[in-house]
Amino acid sequence: MADALTQLGFASWLSVLIASIIKVTLILVGGSVGMMFLTWYERRAISYMQDRRGPNRVGPQGLLQPISEAIKTMTKEDATPREADRIVHFLAPVVMLGATVLSFAVIPWGRMFPVDLNAAVLFVIATGGLHSIGMMMAGWGSNNKFALLGGMRGVAQLISYEIPQVMAIIPVVLMTGSMSLQKIVEAQNDFGGLGWFVFSPVGLLGFALFFTASLAEGERTPFDIPEADSEIIAGYMTEYSGMKFAVFYLSNYMSNLAVCFITATLYLGGGNGPGVDALGGFAGGLLSLIYFLLKSFALFFIMVLIRATVPRLRVDQLMGFAWKFLLPLVLVNILSASFWVALLRWDQQWPQLTEWFGAPSTADATNWGRLAIAVVLTLLINAGAVALIMRLTNRNVQKHLYTTDEELALGLS
Amino acid sequence: MTLSHLATEDVFVVERNDADFRAGQGMTKGLGIVFRKFRKALFGKPNSDRADTEGQFNVQYPEERLVLPEAYRNMPILLYDDATGHELCTSCFQCERICPPQVIHITQAKDPATGKPVPAAANFVLEYDTCMSCGYCAEVCPFDAIKMDHDFELSTGNHPELDVNYDRLLRPISYYEAIAPTMWSDVKEQAMKKLQNNIKRRPGAIGRDHGQKVKGGAAVAVAATPVAGAAPAAAAKPRGPVAAIGKNMPEEKVAKLISIRAANAAKRGGGDAGAAPVAEAAPIVETVVDTPAASAAPSGPVAAIGQNMSEDKRAKLEAIRAAKRAQRGE
Repeated sequence: MADALTQLGFASWLSVLIASIIKVTLILVGGSVGMMFLTWYERRAISYMQDRRGPNRVGPQGLLQPISEAIKTMTKEDATPREADRIVHFLAPVVMLGATVLSFAVIPWGRMFPVDLNAAVLFVIATGGLHSIGMMMAGWGSNNKFALLGGMRGVAQLISYEIPQVMAIIPVVLMTGSMSLQKIVEAQNDFGGLGWFVFSPVGLLGFALFFTASLAEGERTPFDIPEADSEIIAGYMTEYSGMKFAVFYLSNYMSNLAVCFITATLYLGGGNGPGVDALGGFAGGLLSLIYFLLKSFALFFIMVLIRATVPRLRVDQLMGFAWKFLLPLVLVNILSASFWVALLRWDQQWPQLTEWFGAPSTADATNWGRLAIAVVLTLLINAGAVALIMRLTNRNVQKHLYTTDEELALGLS
Repeated sequence: MTLSHLATEDVFVVERNDADFRAGQGMTKGLGIVFRKFRKALFGKPNSDRADTEGQFNVQYPEERLVLPEAYRNMPILLYDDATGHELCTSCFQCERICPPQVIHITQAKDPATGKPVPAAANFVLEYDTCMSCGYCAEVCPFDAIKMDHDFELSTGNHPELDVNYDRLLRPISYYEAIAPTMWSDVKEQAMKKLQNNIKRRPGAIGRDHGQKVKGGAAVAVAATPVAGAAPAAAAKPRGPVAAIGKNMPEEKVAKLISIRAANAAKRGGGDAGAAPVAEAAPIVETVVDTPAASAAPSGPVAAIGQNMSEDKRAKLEAIRAAKRAQRGE
């Protein structure tokens, strides 16, 4: 964009400045409008799951409902507790929102990249980690025991789930050989735009693990422990009202949106799909944007479906799930990703492989034998690991909640 | 823990589906159920049967409305006879006595000539804002004068408006019959009989529909505004003596009828001690002949006067009836 502006006769520094301002505006507006749409989408979807209709009065099908909500929150009183740490209390929502907006910078909108960082994956993880600071600030600054509990819970949860979440990305990075999101999207463009990672055994497990961990990262049900309404009112948001509360809300939904975008990029091929390359140019870009948004909102639908189905976990279940279930599976997945890469790519590194199975696939010719072996092997490893770990975690589950007379007679309990 | 002390039928055994290998089957099943509900609510037929567990339950209220059951009750109203305009209320104070929040206030009507109480209410005030819609008043009323209305859209910004006076409480019987046909047909006969007896004890215009008297015909429409449709029939009804005389009657018969009535009025005028125009009272029953709300008419011989009766028969009947009334010394 900056180049085009320079050609129009702007000074180079000015064109860079203007281009950056336009990009930033697009990201901010896109993020908040997306969030507004998301709130409407979630409310309508969950309404139908509960045999209701949801907001359908303001504007066509209630689409303007979020605007009326925004006006409502803006006109509300913004109260700060007398004993609160005013500066921290004020800064907490700002930090939260800032961290969320940052991650939008590297998200590829179909074929359009606002910023192409060569370590975009790391950047996303880092900005995601900033959340916990905002949470802790809110919890501490409010000077309220519920807020503090919520903040502590939030930080504990984020720290636990960041580990499986980050490690679930490693197979993708291994398979791509790059941390740039653009490269990751390009790597999933085989087979007519359908070579998404989720179709491989490694990617499928990685997708499930990453998405689950991201639910916890975004504090979605069933992992909404920091905001558990029935236990600690609204968690770290207890003492917030008016626009500050709305900013928390905004940042939560924007981070959910970002999670959907990142998941779609990492595992569902981003904007790749049949027909994108064939169309090419602007039309192809538009189609890829549509694919990308469709994938993201389908993922968000799954989030809503889970929210409508599953009750909240206990804190110990939450931690146990992260450390005893997700983490071992993630480690196994990294192992099978290594096999995958070796079986598909290695040529000179291990010459016998080429001797046995032929040369690795190139852009022109796919080596189906190698692909089949890689699929079978990784599938065996992953399925075996899932079965084993599930069995281990379920080992001590009681069959009944009480003891039957027969069992008592046999001395089984 | 053992539950052996309980009878086996008291224990509901919840088996986990597969204790050896649980790989999220339960969760998948749950998600499937929720998704099915989503699909049915979005694309399926709206729920029509209350026993159904799936499909859209919501009724988009201002546009769609549920049909209210007949026995639905919201606020009490008072009934008056379409034909005569006589209120059914006799101010017996039963409702005022039973009303738990004590929101009913009745003033008994007095005969202006003698000062004695008359079985009619001079005023009747009901505080809708405090009424709890229990329906005790309607249940206890021996004259079926107070009934529960179906109109629930009473929201107002004007609080004093909720102290509803007699004029605004009155509805014609035809209105109540429209909202609760079977409930009215159960009590219709005895209610109308009692009304006839009470009318006899009401001199002059006492006990005649307040809305009609105070504001003319329009008042009834005001009283029944929220449920337009049922009420206007009564309001628009002509009640003068002419109404009874059919438009296509031969002139001699009309003359005959009028003379009979005049005689009738003269006889009665003696007994009534200067009460209000009696000429109006006599033909009231006859109006029924021409009204669409014939079903609400007083029971007895009147109903027999069908619309397809020949004109002279009708005149004869009229004459006979007038004579009978004279005998009774009305």
